Amino acid sequence: KGWDDDEDVPDAEMVDDTDDVDPEAERAAWKLRELRRVKREREVIETAEKEREEVERRRNLTKEERE
Amino acid sequence: RQHLVAVGQTGEVRRATVEEVRQTLRYLKRKREEESKEVVVDLGERLERRAE
Amino acid sequence: MSSHQADAKALLDDRGYSGALIRGQNPALLFEKAVRDRITESYYWKEQCFGLNAATLCNRAVELTFIGGTYGGMGKPTPFLCLAFKLLQLVPEKEIILEYLNWSDEGEGEEGDEEKEGITLGRPGEFKYLRALAAFYIRLAWEPVEIYRTLEPLLADYRKLKRRTREGFTLTFMDQFIDDLLTKDRVCATSLWKLPPRAHLEDLELLEPRESPLGDEIEAIDDDDVEMLNGDN
Repeated sequence: KGWDDDEDVPDAEMVDDTDDVDPEAERAAWKLRELRRVKREREVIETAEKEREEVERRRNLTKEERE
Repeated sequence: RQHLVAVGQTGEVRRATVEEVRQTLRYLKRKREEESKEVVVDLGERLERRAE
Repeated sequence: MSSHQADAKALLDDRGYSGALIRGQNPALLFEKAVRDRITESYYWKEQCFGLNAATLCNRAVELTFIGGTYGGMGKPTPFLCLAFKLLQLVPEKEIILEYLNWSDEGEGEEGDEEKEGITLGRPGEFKYLRALAAFYIRLAWEPVEIYRTLEPLLADYRKLKRRTREGFTLTFMDQFIDDLLTKDRVCATSLWKLPPRAHLEDLELLEPRESPLGDEIEAIDDDDVEMLNGDN
């Protein structure tokens, strides 16, 4: 009973959101997603650190060049 | 007037409290549990009848 | 304020708006005009959302069967989006939003049987679509530190969510939806205001670094595992 539906939606029933059908697989799939997030967070930190190092390096270079 | 306020006919709706929210959710959960029980009972009865 | 308007008239009249502000502006403006118009024109808004307060809204929210923004050629709003708009009108107290997010029936879901029972029963945020709705609202209406603190624990909730897209339906998960809210610019037909990066708030010592619920398991990951993850991505 969709309120604003005048067209029929064939694939509404094809997506099943029932939980705990296969708890182990569901948890394993989550673990993969969570690992990806952790990895992404780490990459952000690493990139920021590299940038910081690069800025530092350039600063030192200019000093040496000045001398 | 209380009723009109409750159904929104004055154009004003009384704000709900946290306790009312909790009560509503408790009620909705119980309702859902009873509905799912009924489904099971229905199914059980049908299976019994088929077995007879 | 002990009452609010049953419809959206006051909400949409910018000059006359006297309700609660979110970050200094009328909360309705967090949705784009075209989307607001679609919502207030919809039957779901007119017939199912009229006169709701924060308690009666639960009756509708527990009936939700999918999340999503707008769909179809005409860009119809989902009930999820309409109820989110209703919340922007109500601006419920934080306490109430936290009930939506974390409510569970006390007394049930005893400690110890968590593993056996799976994640559906007696756990925080039992009505998962209500939980998703509250999370969406929090991302729109709350402050950055609160958003991270309140939403990040939900990254451990891997229940399935049905999502209505423009063309059809897809499957997503609570943790994925929360991650979208924290990292994407646009979710459910709504441009999310720019959230300061987590690292920035950590530098200001407003937030502790996030600890993954995987905990010690994380330490077991080495580069090989990461490669493997990339492989099937």
